[in-house]
Formats: sequence, structure tokens, C-alpha cells
Amino acid sequence: MTFEALVYQGLIGLSLAMYLWLLAAGLTIAFGVLGVVNFAHGSLYMLGGYFAFTFYLTLQMNFWFSLLLAAVSGGVVGLIMERFFLRFIYHLDLAYQILLTFGFVLIFADAARIFWGGIPLIPPMPEILDSTVSIVGRPFPVYNLFVIFVGIAVSALLWLLLDKTSWGETVRASASDREMASALGVNIPRLFTVVFSFAAMLAALSGALGTPVRAMTPGIGTSVIIDVFIVTVIGGLGNLPGAFVGALIIGLMKAYGVLLFPDADLFMTYLIMALVLLFRPKGLLGGR
Amino acid sequence: MKSWTALTKAGLQTRLAAAAGAALAVALLIIPLFGDYVIWLTANMLILALFAVGFNLLFSFTGLLSFGQAAFFAVGGYVCALILLAVPSLLLGVVGGVVAAGLVALIIGFLCVRHTEIYFAMLTLAFGMMIHSIIWKWRAVTGGDDGLVGVPRAPLEIPGLLSIDMADLERYYYFVLLLVVLGIFTIWRVVRSSLGLTLQGIRDSESRVTFIGLSVMKYRLIAFTIAGLASGLAGALMVPLGRSASPAIANWTFSAEPVIATMLGGAFTFAGPIVGSFLFYIIKEIVVIFTGYWMMTLGIIVLALVLGFRGGVVSVIQRQLLPLLERRRNDLGG
Amino acid sequence: MASKSAFNRRQFLKATAGGVALAAPFIQPAQAQDPIKIGAQGVSSGSHADYGRQIQMGARFAAEDINAKGGIMGRKVEVLYRDDELINDVALKNARFFKAQGVNFMVGTDSSGVCLALGPVLPELDLIQVFTHAATEKLTEDLVFKKGIKHIFRGSVPVYQDAILPALVFKDNKDIKRIANLGADYEYGRTSWAMFHTTLKKFRPDVEIVGETWAPFFTADFTPHISALAAKKPDLIFATPWAGEAVLMLRQATTLGVFNDIRVWWQCMGGSVDVLEGISRDVATGNFKDKLWATARYIWNWPNTPENKAFVGSFSERWGRLPNYSAECTYSAIFALKAAAEKVDSVKTADVIKALEGLELSTPAGKRVYRPEDHQAVYNVPAGRVTYNKEVAPIAYLTDLKVFPASDYFRNPPFN
Repeated sequence: MTFEALVYQGLIGLSLAMYLWLLAAGLTIAFGVLGVVNFAHGSLYMLGGYFAFTFYLTLQMNFWFSLLLAAVSGGVVGLIMERFFLRFIYHLDLAYQILLTFGFVLIFADAARIFWGGIPLIPPMPEILDSTVSIVGRPFPVYNLFVIFVGIAVSALLWLLLDKTSWGETVRASASDREMASALGVNIPRLFTVVFSFAAMLAALSGALGTPVRAMTPGIGTSVIIDVFIVTVIGGLGNLPGAFVGALIIGLMKAYGVLLFPDADLFMTYLIMALVLLFRPKGLLGGR
Repeated sequence: MKSWTALTKAGLQTRLAAAAGAALAVALLIIPLFGDYVIWLTANMLILALFAVGFNLLFSFTGLLSFGQAAFFAVGGYVCALILLAVPSLLLGVVGGVVAAGLVALIIGFLCVRHTEIYFAMLTLAFGMMIHSIIWKWRAVTGGDDGLVGVPRAPLEIPGLLSIDMADLERYYYFVLLLVVLGIFTIWRVVRSSLGLTLQGIRDSESRVTFIGLSVMKYRLIAFTIAGLASGLAGALMVPLGRSASPAIANWTFSAEPVIATMLGGAFTFAGPIVGSFLFYIIKEIVVIFTGYWMMTLGIIVLALVLGFRGGVVSVIQRQLLPLLERRRNDLGG
Repeated sequence: MASKSAFNRRQFLKATAGGVALAAPFIQPAQAQDPIKIGAQGVSSGSHADYGRQIQMGARFAAEDINAKGGIMGRKVEVLYRDDELINDVALKNARFFKAQGVNFMVGTDSSGVCLALGPVLPELDLIQVFTHAATEKLTEDLVFKKGIKHIFRGSVPVYQDAILPALVFKDNKDIKRIANLGADYEYGRTSWAMFHTTLKKFRPDVEIVGETWAPFFTADFTPHISALAAKKPDLIFATPWAGEAVLMLRQATTLGVFNDIRVWWQCMGGSVDVLEGISRDVATGNFKDKLWATARYIWNWPNTPENKAFVGSFSERWGRLPNYSAECTYSAIFALKAAAEKVDSVKTADVIKALEGLELSTPAGKRVYRPEDHQAVYNVPAGRVTYNKEVAPIAYLTDLKVFPASDYFRNPPFN
């Protein structure tokens, strides 16, 4: 295994990790503040991809704008989910909230089929990103670098938002003690809606980001959620840096696994999860 | 005679339940009159009912939501298939499947029960998919995505005592009916026992139970294993029905079926999952006649259930139908 | 009070009438002028939803064509379609439902796993099924030839097409010395790769396998696999992920610049209409550098016969899309059943089985022969290079067609 191969594959793994990170970040934030695990998170990823396809190809909008709009649209779907459905059952057992989100998984899967059909959809690659750069002597896709850039940019934005703004402080306070925050005047219901929509937006962004390199089909929602769950379990449920670390581990492992253990791809992810659970049950960085 | 008097003196609900139970029993016994399709459908409903009752032991009576029960269903099914392919004894296959499922449930349960609520749900889902991926990859043993086919519906044999041929679908249906009834009855006894009370105590207040000196983890693990055994039995019964085992029965979307069935029928009752399993199949069969979008229909039903009818069909009957019947009975003069 | 009991009686009568109506199909015996019913199954949900849809379109189209010309022996053809979700138990349930509805024959099935579970049940149901997509060689080699399940027929070319044909196509290309596999990590991928490199090595012992990677079902990102292979500098990449995965895999391959260095990328089932639709833009911009080769189980632009042209034209008009191989195979399967039934003037299963064995039929895909040894339809489908020309077709299509007689690459009994 040459050094060049390891570097190259590592960068591939890093770009894979970014998709997972965006997904896991949303799931973690939603869980941290609302205490809900959204089974439909993967479906929001799928919708983000479909929206981006429609804006970019069908409606011929600018690519950057399509990404943003797709993310925002995902946020709107999340808003509707929270405001008109989830909100009514917060007082109930957490199990019901999970079940509600699962109902949405089923609905979104068929909705995708109704609106976009069963054929795999992929738009053209935006010209400005349609090239390669030479890395360790081999052509590396610019688009993958773009994805890495977006992932890091979002991390920075999230950090700024949560650590350096008063809104972020409110969110973190509500996450650690909901009752106290409410007693101090925070409008918890409104905060919940905003946070859930924000999380949905991140999921949709992940899906939108993938559109030029991943084809959209109605089954994507249920297949991507497993990976996200494993990432959050590894990092620690409710732990945002943990989600980043988990995404990194899984992304890199998928890339290196193909290189070093070509026969074991699928199983490696579960093996890592099982090992983490055995020795660090609360996740690598601890959870709630 | 004593029980008859008690029955006539009992409330309308008990009498109605008894009547419904009797009607159901008769219906189930005469199912074979309606042809292979109905037998097939009913056998599947029964298997799902057992699967769901096991799930509900965990959910309603222990307070644990598991999205990974398909793993044990699959272990039960695959081990049964492997046994039947080697030794044509239905009894051995079923027993082997159940035992294997119980063992796997014990191991996975040990890793999961120390966590609760959300974490538990996610873990069971992940472990379930781990089993799914093992089944998919271990082609030499499980046949990979082709699965195991040509599994014989072996005769039920107890050497020296009896040998009943099971090739006939009707015969096998009665075997499924018998074992499902036994399985559900066993869980019913567990729920009524002191173990069941302890589990409900844990569900309601962990701290109180720990305070009186009982190990919460141990009881949760017991419940998880019992649910695993029930799932394994369901899986072992399913495989000889279709004479094949495939990875689909280990997928988490299959784990969702007992969850939905339980919600549909009514989670916090014992009969709920059973009623829900029948409804689940009937609704799906009717829906697919009209539309290919049965997933969306099911999703909308789930939403409606969670938002408005959390007690499921059983609670609708209890809360709305029964008072109606009470009033009519009173109108008619008792 | 009187009104209440009258109300009850009316309800009761209605319910009974309803019950009788529901039970009717189970009770009434079929009569001579009743329609001939055909049950079709395919996957219409999830990521492979288009394939079931194509089976449905092909079946309905066949029924319409046949009925326009008087039906089968004067009886109208009626198609019932159900989604099998790629799940064995659903397919078995659907089959029993069809039987209860009185179908005379069955067609369809996409999944290899499902066909292996469904096949053995057919004798019990006393129904013939002409399978029209599922490609596993085990269906015909094991279940028909070795186990003698005569109710199974297959109207579509099996995995020999994906795996053995390319060996014939490229064996004479001296530039191809290093081959690599981008495999779908399940039975189809494993079997195809094994058949391919074994056959190729018989002709070209000098060929070297330089890389093998395996991707599980539902892989969204093949970049690790593609880059791992690209590093080994293969001349030919043999790829088995199909349908939606093929579309995204090929796009990812173009972003990695793979098509600059390799000589051939062989895409199994790359000639499938949904894949061609998905990759058309990349083909048009020349991203595959004329190195993408593929086949299918029928391609709409071959053979160049009036029958095929008429079929493609009227199908496109009817459904707004070009016919995929599962559509043509299902369409032709129903015509084969018609021909067989008319040959023996009967729709009884045992009679039709005998009539189908050895049946030769002219279909849009060309002449099909249902060989009696394993009930596999033998017909030719070319391999070709994927290209785009909007004068010829609205989507990418195969050109540079290499036609080999199917008998050159189909395996034969005793299949060892």
C-alpha cells in the first residue's frame, strides 16, 4: 500500500464523511434539544436531493441557489412535521414520537415516487466543479473537494452559531435544562420548531450536496438512516463533536476498508459500532 | 357451572371479549374451507400476531421500544431452515430455531438493556441490521441474497410416538395455529405472573424497583430474551410455510411490522397486537387492490393512530363501541 | 324500537350480500367464454420501482394488442398486476391470490431470490410462470433441468448475457491484458464476475486480474471502490451494480477521470432504459470517451426488423417511454403463452407446458426458441458501445453492435 494511495483514499473518505457529518449534525441537534430521534431524517436527505434536482435541472436555476433553496425547502418540510404533528405529542412517551417520524418515512417514500417517479434521477455536473486536480499524482475530483469544503464551512458556522451567538446560548441552555430555560422566558415551543427545521435543513443540504454525484431513487431514505444512526451511536448520542468524530471514522473506514479489506465492506461499520458499544457504551465522546 | 354464573354476572366487556374470543376460535378453525389464499394469509397473520405479542411484552409491559426484533425472527427462521435441509424433522427445526433465537437475544440484549428509551431503540435497530448484513454476506451458510430455498416442510415427528406429514398446506396451517396459540398463551402467563408485575413496575418506575432490591437490568434482559424466543418461534414457523428463508426477514423495515400492528390494535392491552396483526394484513390486502401506494396509506394510518387513536382499535372498541352497546342494552330493557 | 331491528336486518342482508360477492370468485367454476387471466409480478416500490412498472406496461400492452386482434381462442386477455417488493413471502402471497382469482398463467418477477422461492411452488399451484427478468442461472439449470420443475419457463436471457458474452466480445482485443471487478456484493455480482473471468481466461490465459472490489446493495458512493481499482491501472473494468446504482456509479467514475486511462468499462445491464436515461447527458458530452460498453436482455434498436420497429413505435406512443427489456420480455412471454395455448387448443397447464417446450416464436427481440432442456428462451441480444445522437434517439443507445449467436455463449446441459 503506497503512501500516495493512502492519501488519495483518505481524501475520498473525508468527502464521504462530510455527507454523514451533515446528516448526523442535524440528527444530534434535534435530539439534543427536543429529545426526539427523527427516523425520517434520511427521508429529508432524500427530499433535499430531489428538490435540488428539480430546482437545478427542471427549473434551470443556478446551482448554488438550487443547493440553498433545496436545503431551505427541507427545512420547511421539517417545520411542517414539527409544528403540525410532532408538537402535539411531546407530552407522550418518546416511543410515540419515534413512531410518528416512522409514519413520515413511509409517506415520504411514496411521495417521492408520486412526484418524481421510480427512475433514478441525476442532473448534469455543474461546469465550474466539473474537473479534477492532481493530488499525489492522480486526478482527484474537484467536486469532492467542494463537499469537504462545505462540510468544514458548516462545522465552522455551527460552532459560531452555537457558541458565539445569544441564540446559540439559548439553544444550548434549552438542551441541557428545558424547564429552567422556559422559566427564564425562552419560548420553548417556538425554539423547538426552529431547531427541528434547522436540523431538517442540514439533512436536506446533505442530500442536495450529493445530487450531481448520487442518483436519487425513492428507496434512499430508508437506506441512509442506518449509517447516520451508527455514526451518532459511535460518537455519542446528543454530542455534536462526537457526531463529527463518528462521521470521520465511518467515512474513512469505508474508504480504507475498500482498499485494505475489499471483502468486508458492509460488516466493518457494524463491527466498529459493536466494539464501541462494548467498551464505551455511551459513545466515544460520551452522550446524554 | 361456577364459571358460567360468573360469566353471566360479569360485565358487558368480559362477555363481549369471551364472545369475540369464541368467534375468533371458530373462525380460525374453519379457515381452510376458504382455499389456499385465505389459509396463506391467515397463517401469516398468526405468525405476525405472535411476533407482535413478543414485541409488546417489551414495549407495553417493560417499557422498551425495540426496532430490531426482525433479527431474532430471522435467526429462528434461518436456523430452522438449515436444520430442515439437513434433518427432515419439523420439531427439531422449530426447537432449534427458537433456541438459537433465544441465545442471540441474550447476547444482544446484554449489550442493549443497559440503555433505555431512544438509545435502546437505535441500538436494537443497528444490531438488527448487523444480523441482516451477516446473513447477506455469509453466503456459504445462508445463501446470501438468494437465501435458502427448497426447504422441506418436514413431517412433525416424535420418534416412537407420532409422525404427521406436513406437505399439505392445511395441515401445516393447523400446526402454525397450535404453536402460535401456545406461544401467545405462554406470554400471557408471563404477563400475569409476578415476573410480569415486576416488569410493569420497572416500566413505571425504575428507581422504586431498584429500591426494593431487584436488578432492573436482569429483568429487562429476561423480557428481551422472552421476546426474542417468541420472535424466533414466529420465524421458525414462517420458513416451512414458504419453504424458503431470505434476508428480507432481517431488515429493519420488517421489524417495523410488529410495531405498527401493535399500534393498530392497541399497545397497552394484551389483545391489541393480535387484533392489529389481523387488521394489518387485511388493510394491506385491501389497499393494494386500489392503489400501488400502500406505503403512504400505511404511513397516514400510523400518523392518525399516534395523533388520535393511541389506544388502537381495542381502545376504540372499549371507549366508544362498548358504551354504545351498554346504552342499547339498557334501552332494550337489560 | 321496531325501526332499530328493521335497520339491523337491512344491515345484515347487505353484509351477507357483500360477503357472497367477495366469496364468488372462489365459488364459481370458470367458463369457456371467461377471460384468460394472467398474473404479473414485479417490484414497484423502493429504488427499483421502474422495473416492476416496465413489467406492468409490457403485460398490459400485450393484452391490449392480443385483444384488439380477437384474444386467445376468442377469449379476452386480462392482466392482474401486483408488487412483490422483491420479497419472497409477498411474491408467494401474490401467487396464491392470483390462483384464487383464477389466473391461467403468470409472468414477471425481477428478483433472483424471489424466483428461486416461487419456482418450486408452481407445481402445487398448477400454474406456469414465464419469468421475464430474474437472471440467476439456478432457475433453469437447477430448478428445471436438475429438479425437473416443468412449470418454470424463462423468456429473458439469463446471466450468461451479462457475463459470458463480454468475454467473447473482448477476447480478441490484445490491448486488454489487465482486468478488474467492481462487483455488486451479492449472488448476481459474484456469479457474473466468476463466469466472465473464467470464460475470458479460456481464450486469453495471458489476461491478469489486477483488482477486485465489492460493494453491498444500496451503496450510494462508489468512489472508494473506483479509486481503489483505478490505482491498479486496469484495461477493462467489469461492473455489476445495476439500475440506479449504475447511474451514480458511472457519474462518479467520470468525476474520477477513470475513462482517460481504461480501455473498456463493461456495464452489466447498462443497456437498460432507466440507466440509459440517467447517463444520457454524460454520454452526450463525451464523458465516457467512447469506452462504455453494455448489453441488456433486449435493446429497442436491435434487431432492425419491421416487427421490432412497430413494437417500439407503438409502445413509445402508448406509454411515452422506450420499452425496457423487462417490458419486451413480458410482452413476448404473453405472446408465447398465446402461441402455445393455440397450438394445443387448450389453456390447461399440462398441455401448455408441452406446447411451450421447443416453441419457436417471432418476437420484437427476434426469434425466440424455448429450449426443452431447461425451458430457457434462446435469442440473440447484442453488446454495444454506449453513444448518443439526438437524430437517432432522445436518450443514449447502443451502437457498434456485436452480435453473437446465443448458442455461442449460453451454457448447455449438463451444466457442469
